[in-house]
Amino acid sequence: MIIPKEEIMKSNHLACPGCGAALAMRLALKALGKKTIVVIPACCWTIINGTWGNNFAGVPVFHTAFATTAAVAAGIKATLEMQGKDDITVMGWAGDGGTFDIGLQALSGAAERNDDIIYVCYDNEAYMNTGIQRSSATPIGAETTTTPSPIVKDRPKKDLMEIVAAHDVPYIASATVAYPTDLIKKFQKAKSKKGFKFIHILSPCPPGHKFPEDKTIEISKLAVETGVFLLYEIEDGKYRINKKPKFKDLDEYLDIQGRFRNTPKEQREALKEAIKRRWEKLLVKAEHFG
Amino acid sequence: MKRLVLGGNDAVAYAVKQSHVDVVSAYPITPQTSIIEKIASFIANGEMRTRFIKVESEHSAMAAAIGASATGGRVFTATSSQGLLYMHEVLHWAAGASLPIVMANANRAVAPPWSIWAEQTDSLSQRDTGWIQFYASNSQETYDLLFLSFRLAERVKNPVMVCMDGFLVTHTKEPVAVFGDEIEEFISVKETRPLLDVEKPEAIGALAFPQDYMPVKIEQHKRISSALAEFKTLSDQFERISSRRYDPIYTYGEENADIVIVAMGSNAETAHLAIDLLNKEGIKAKLVKIVMFRPFPKDELIKAFEGAKKIAVFDRNISMGKGGITKDEIVGALGINNVVGIVCGLGGVDVTENDMVKVAKDVLDGKIQEDMILWGGR
Repeated sequence: MIIPKEEIMKSNHLACPGCGAALAMRLALKALGKKTIVVIPACCWTIINGTWGNNFAGVPVFHTAFATTAAVAAGIKATLEMQGKDDITVMGWAGDGGTFDIGLQALSGAAERNDDIIYVCYDNEAYMNTGIQRSSATPIGAETTTTPSPIVKDRPKKDLMEIVAAHDVPYIASATVAYPTDLIKKFQKAKSKKGFKFIHILSPCPPGHKFPEDKTIEISKLAVETGVFLLYEIEDGKYRINKKPKFKDLDEYLDIQGRFRNTPKEQREALKEAIKRRWEKLLVKAEHFG
Repeated sequence: MKRLVLGGNDAVAYAVKQSHVDVVSAYPITPQTSIIEKIASFIANGEMRTRFIKVESEHSAMAAAIGASATGGRVFTATSSQGLLYMHEVLHWAAGASLPIVMANANRAVAPPWSIWAEQTDSLSQRDTGWIQFYASNSQETYDLLFLSFRLAERVKNPVMVCMDGFLVTHTKEPVAVFGDEIEEFISVKETRPLLDVEKPEAIGALAFPQDYMPVKIEQHKRISSALAEFKTLSDQFERISSRRYDPIYTYGEENADIVIVAMGSNAETAHLAIDLLNKEGIKAKLVKIVMFRPFPKDELIKAFEGAKKIAVFDRNISMGKGGITKDEIVGALGINNVVGIVCGLGGVDVTENDMVKVAKDVLDGKIQEDMILWGGR
């Protein structure tokens, strides 16, 4: 496929250099087009989109309270439906804190009601905007300012894809900016389907994960190749694996990021075990519900 | 116009039905539930063309209302007590974003201990959220104030809360004059506007540095403050259709009263009886009912209190460590010192006209000079 040339998102936005979340929005809007309304709760994108008077997204943006993304998006869609404006896509765009943690209830509510919105979680695996505190999306073994070494995070990352899948919604997908055509296709598919759509984007964060700002794509790719982040879709209940991991050595992924510098050996092993288990589960689902 | 026997909740639902509401988002809580049940049944039987988002919490109820309103819809929700408190953060958001949402609140005491009965501490503790607040005393008022609220909210670009004491107002069945088509000319005027417009992509609510933040807040303060004057204008129009008049305050009894009873909500109904009893005894008494609590009707109150020797404010609410909330508001706004605050009726305890008569006399005679809590014990 050819990536759409039109740039909706504007340059000079306020993201840190190498921000995965900025690139993700740029690609997402290429797929969705100008007739999109975006809801952004407290997250890095509150800053990225610019201060008062600015709007780098290039489409209407509603900045909202932390826990409210899905509900606000549902409300926007409800009025659009009453106005007969069926050609406008409503997208919630939240970080992992606003999705895995404080926004989970509203997300679950909108998913259960099958509200006709696209909910995107750009997941940088911690509260990055407030200065790198652990969230329930933080992987086991990662160091954050609230899980400083030697007490690094000792619980596994919440499996949000499967939590959303339990709501029986039309479309769920995972994506990374290292596979832009895959990501764009998924947004286009999400736009074409009616009902609740959920897209989970892994969003490497140079200052938060502690890696050089030119390594975002490389790390995104490694996440997929090591099996840390599985690229798959659940369309109308049917599982489809988009890219089989090569199961590259996990250390390659961990060693490039400062947040894993102090990860004890047993937690590295726990991570490897979690990758294996999650892949096995996904394989079974893809085989039986593919 | 026809007469139906309705509780306050029913009256709200009828008004919402007749107000061409685009979106309702709501979550059930006693004693609000019969509002949203009735709305659901109106939609189910085709009497109402509205999208009803059955949210999973009050926080989301207000959030969905915000989204729907920011897109230009006319939006309604209803809640009570714990639900209203759970909304608190989002109430600020609605007012700050200048969204004309209308909400009915069934005033109910706040837990613990659990209580489902009348008290106004729930909505009065939302005083500083930037919402216009009305307090209705009976079913007719809830019905009428709903129409006025939609128009006022859209006119001044500010959300409006219509409060009614749980059960005492929400469930007491009374004859209500219900409009036919004659309300159309008033209620069909929609001054909603979409803040979110794909043809004009703007960011609403972006991070504002101090020099940007403060002017926005000054503007918001002006907006809600303008509601006093705009309410009068809209009330004039409403009166022409209904022959019923609404003002920020309502008075009853002797014009030049020695003792003034101030009440809000259901207490004001009871106070009518107290005023009659006092006047019968030759005591010049009058009721001042606060209908609009925010913006605060300071000038109206100054006028209403002219010549009064003593003012007894009955508050079915309490600010812990301080006392009755409307009493405090009156003293704070007017700077007068002939006011006694009486906290009463918390958690649905009955407040009778005899209670009011006794206290009013004692206040007038100087037997009660300090704020008090009216409690006769079990």
